[in-house]
Amino acid sequence: MSRLRATLAIVRRHIDRRYAIDWVMQFLLIGAISFVFGRLFADSLEIFGIVGFVAAASVIDRQHRRLLRRLTFFSAPLYGRQLARAHAIAPACAALSIPLAYVSGAALAGRALAANVSLGLTAAALVAATIALSSAFREGYRAALYVALAGAASLTLGLPFELRLPHPLAQCAALAALEAFFALRAFGETLARYDPLPEPEPEARPAAKPPRRASPASRG
Amino acid sequence: MTVLRARGARFARDDRELVAPFSLTVTAGETVVLAQPDGAAAAIAARMCAAIVKPTEGTIYVGEYETRLQPPQCKRLIGFVDAAGFEGDEYAFKCEVAFRADVWGLDSRAAHARGRAVLEALGDGAYARGVALALVPDVALVVLDRPASRVVSRVRALAPAAGILRTR
Repeated sequence: MSRLRATLAIVRRHIDRRYAIDWVMQFLLIGAISFVFGRLFADSLEIFGIVGFVAAASVIDRQHRRLLRRLTFFSAPLYGRQLARAHAIAPACAALSIPLAYVSGAALAGRALAANVSLGLTAAALVAATIALSSAFREGYRAALYVALAGAASLTLGLPFELRLPHPLAQCAALAALEAFFALRAFGETLARYDPLPEPEPEARPAAKPPRRASPASRG
Repeated sequence: MTVLRARGARFARDDRELVAPFSLTVTAGETVVLAQPDGAAAAIAARMCAAIVKPTEGTIYVGEYETRLQPPQCKRLIGFVDAAGFEGDEYAFKCEVAFRADVWGLDSRAAHARGRAVLEALGDGAYARGVALALVPDVALVVLDRPASRVVSRVRALAPAAGILRTR
């Protein structure tokens, strides 16, 4: 089996008409927000935080969670890490619309961001989306923690720019590569450990009735 | 030849036993029924035998592979059909066949032909589409979650050499 063929097959299952519409809508919305409110966020850290949280939020919508949890993927003969890499490609591409839109909106408003900050924002969106993927397989506060972690990781990528360190883009890229590597590893582990249990059936059994033991297997 | 061997396999979550320990053996060409007390337990037991859900205790082997340690090798040998079947439309079905052809490394045209042939034999319907997808690759074990009896006999005719495990 070709790994590339399997990876592309999973990417194709993610990408449909809705995906393209979401990409464009996200781009327009973030572009408009950046155009109108961009002047309020002069600080690099604020911009990195906004882009990171929006990228993380774009990954965790209910439709996307359902898609990731489809049995089709879990019945396919793939390792967790293979699934993780393939699952990460489409959301990462989707998340690219956020920095692109923010940078475009700011440029249209006459406050163009420096090229290295724009590239740093792209890395931040990719990292945040990759970290937030793990939240799709968790519920409640655990899922929220992953979104918070994604935002925090994005903020750390803004630090080299904010602190005016030498070669901020190189430092940002090195940090982003490290964070994305660990995020993908963690997502692979999440997928490998995840047990896709059936959704609870609508008619609940009476609580007082004790469960019957499974009868032994029979030849049929 | 043994295609599935479960020994004391059980599943628990948060100290609640969802599937009581069960042991069974399925050989090639044989159909075995695994009865469970309710639909949820049947669904989980089917997924355990299909290497999708890992047993909390006990072992399940598909061929010579253990489902907890070597799930991809196990899944390569299994065609799994969920109780709901495949609920997508014709276009989604074709996409799914293409997906399976790519992931299992099959010839795309042959996979589509196989899917169509199975559908013609079973008639249309969500469960029939699920079976057609499961039988696109050449599998040694078919796991059917709560199928109708007539479906089992048709699957047997379509995959005479495969072991069939059905839950009830």
